[in-house]
Amino acid sequence: MIYLDSAATSLLKPDTVQYAMINAMNSMASPGRGSHEAAMRAAEECYDCRENLARLFHMEKPENVVFTFNATHGLNIAIDSLVKPGARVLVSGYEHNSVMRPLYALKARLLVVDTPLFRPDDFLEKAERLLPRADVVVCNHVSNVFGYILPVEGLAALCRKWKKPLILDVSQSAGVLELDFDALGADFAAMPGHKGLMGPQGTGVLLCKNDAKPLLYGGSGSASRSRSMPAYLPDRLEAGTHNVTGIAGLNAGVRYVLEKGTQTIRRHERRLLESFARAMTDWGGARLFYSPDGEVQSSVLSLLPRDMSCEALGDALSEREVAVRTGLHCAPAAHQTAGTLDTGTVRFSFSPFNTEEEVLRCAGICEKILKNL
Amino acid sequence: MMNQYIIMCRSLTYAQRASRVLERAGIFSSVTKAPMGVSPEGCTYGVRLRTAELAGPLETVRAAGIKTGRIYEIQPDGSAREVTA
Repeated sequence: MIYLDSAATSLLKPDTVQYAMINAMNSMASPGRGSHEAAMRAAEECYDCRENLARLFHMEKPENVVFTFNATHGLNIAIDSLVKPGARVLVSGYEHNSVMRPLYALKARLLVVDTPLFRPDDFLEKAERLLPRADVVVCNHVSNVFGYILPVEGLAALCRKWKKPLILDVSQSAGVLELDFDALGADFAAMPGHKGLMGPQGTGVLLCKNDAKPLLYGGSGSASRSRSMPAYLPDRLEAGTHNVTGIAGLNAGVRYVLEKGTQTIRRHERRLLESFARAMTDWGGARLFYSPDGEVQSSVLSLLPRDMSCEALGDALSEREVAVRTGLHCAPAAHQTAGTLDTGTVRFSFSPFNTEEEVLRCAGICEKILKNL
Repeated sequence: MMNQYIIMCRSLTYAQRASRVLERAGIFSSVTKAPMGVSPEGCTYGVRLRTAELAGPLETVRAAGIKTGRIYEIQPDGSAREVTA
C-alpha cells in the first residue's frame, strides 16, 4: 500500500514506537499511584516524554506539558478555559471542527479571517483589523485540508500587542514545523500524538502558558485530601489514569522527531509534495491547491478532479492500494473559505517514511484513473 | 557527615524535575512518596538525597525555578524531622 494519509494518522512510524509500547505494557503501572518500581517506571516514562516535548517546543517548564487523549480534548480544555459563552472569538477561515464545534457550543460570536489560501500578508492585515474587537483568538497553524501555513508568529505578535489570549491548534504542524512556544507567548497549543509526533492514536498534548480550567475531575495521585483538583499543572488537567502505553509510544515518536530534526522532516516532505504536484500538473486532469512557495504550504495537498467526484477518485485509488482521504476532512469552514464546500477535495499528505518513487507512482495511477485508461 | 533529607515538592512531576536538575548538577537523588505524616494534603512527592550539606542542592533546585516545600531530615529510626535551610 502507498499510504498518503498521514495528515489523519501517521500509520508509518519508527519501529521504536511499537517496541516502547510493548515494553510499557509489560513493565509499567501508573504514575503517582504508588511508589513501587512499576509505578515509578511509568512516572519516569511520562516525565521523560514531557521533557522531550518541552525540548521540541522550546519550553522551560516540562510540567506545563499536559497529556490529553487527542488534540480535540486539548482544544476543549483551552477553549473552555478562555472563552466565555457569547464571547467574540477571532478564528482563521481554515479551522477544523475540533475548534469550531466547541465555539458553536459556547455560542461564540465569530470574527473570521477568511482571506484566500497561501496569502499570509492578507491574513495578517485582516486579522489586525478584527483583533481589537476580539476577546480571544483561536487559530490553526497549518490547514489540515490545504496545508496552508498560517502566519502564527505574526498573529502571536499582534495578540501580544493587543493583549489578546491566543490558542493555537498545531495538529498538522507538530513534529513538522519549528514551534517556539515560550517565545510565541500563546496561552495554549493543542496537538494530537498520532500525526507528526509519530505516537499512537489516543494520545495528545496540550502546552500551557499558565493555569487552565479542568475539563475532567477526579483522582490525580496528588493532594488527595483536597476536594478540588490540584492548583498546579499538569495534575490539574490530568484526572484519571494515564495512557502510559500510549505515552511511551509517543515518547519514542518524539525522540525520533528530535533526532531527525523538524527541518529535515519538513524538507523531505516538501520535496515529495513538489514532485507530486509537478507530476500532476503536467497533464492538468485536476485542480491542485498548490503553492510553489514552501513557506506557505506544508506537506498536505488537496486536489479537485475535473471530470470525476472526489469520492470516486478516492475509491479508485483505494482499489489500487493507495490510501488518501476524500470529503470535507472535518473542516467545512476551510472548504467554505476556499470554495470547495460542495465538492470536498481529495487530500494527499506525506510523511518522512514516504519515498519519491511512491508519490510518482501515485501520480501515475491518478492520471490513469482520471483519463479512464 | 552524610545525612538523608527529603525536599518536598508540589507534585510528582515537580519532584521529577527537581531530581533531573540535581542529576545534571552531578547530585544523586531519587523521587520518593512522602510519608503521610509530612504531607497534610495527602499523596505528595519529594526528592530524597544523601548529602553533607543541604544548601548546595537546594540552591540548584531553586535556581531552576522549582518551588520547594518543607525539608525533612530522616532520622536513624526512619522518622522525619523538619529542618530549616
